[in-house]
Amino acid sequence: MAMTMTIERVMAFMGLDVLVAKDEGLFTAEGLDLRLAALPPDEFQSAAEGTPTKPTTNQGKLQARGEAQMFQA
Amino acid sequence: MIVCGALVVPPTSPVYTPHELAHKRVALDYGNGTAYAGLQMLEGAMPREAVTTCAAATSPAERFAGLMRGDFEATVLQEPWITVAEQAGCRLVSTTFFHGTWVATPDVSVEAYAALLRAITRAVRLINADKRRYVSYFIRDWPGHPEVAELRPHDFNLGRIQLKDPGPIPEDEARWAWDWMASWGLIAGTFDVTTQINRTVEREAHELAAAVRAG
Repeated sequence: MAMTMTIERVMAFMGLDVLVAKDEGLFTAEGLDLRLAALPPDEFQSAAEGTPTKPTTNQGKLQARGEAQMFQA
Repeated sequence: MIVCGALVVPPTSPVYTPHELAHKRVALDYGNGTAYAGLQMLEGAMPREAVTTCAAATSPAERFAGLMRGDFEATVLQEPWITVAEQAGCRLVSTTFFHGTWVATPDVSVEAYAALLRAITRAVRLINADKRRYVSYFIRDWPGHPEVAELRPHDFNLGRIQLKDPGPIPEDEARWAWDWMASWGLIAGTFDVTTQINRTVEREAHELAAAVRAG
């Protein structure tokens, strides 16, 4: 039975390897059902709302509420 | 994956070096790796008190638009927006590279993480064998943005697209990053590797994944 893992959405600038691995079936070949989860657009906060010491990053939001197991920082 | 961040000024800017950005507003997407990269590029060129930043959008599309409007003197961009900026006549006054780092919940198993690492390692090798083939991924991330859609694979500087096999986080680098962030007041407390990195899962997963690297 395949292992399942959900990670937060990645973009090419920091996750080209993940995107290519998914499209080329490399996760499937390793027995891993890798799923990408995206934050709903209405929950997305712009960094423009933050300050250096109180940033409004979106990274890790899905993981924090149990909807993803990993994210890239 | 190694991320490239570039400190960019608009075509009409009198700024040619990062030093010339002293006391000038540089827009950063606080809380993201590109913002930290921006701070590091600036503080490498001037005293900290001369580093002047303002909050910018998370979206590099919005930061690029603000740059071209003259909302600020400079910003930090990542691909494909570095290439978009170059096509628009902007200048890169500094570039830097940094690791993307995985953050995982405690329930990620050694086996699943090893499978992830093996697949990523294979992808890294595919991409490194023909980077130009895969630059379309940078374009497809930005539907509805004509300036990105107009890019062609040969527009990209492949030297800015760097990938290496995934590996454990060197403790020194983790500590330096923590201490550097603390020095800016961006993080509190002292670094403790045992609470930040599960070395057991990390080591076992990398050992399990190692076979593919030898192959």
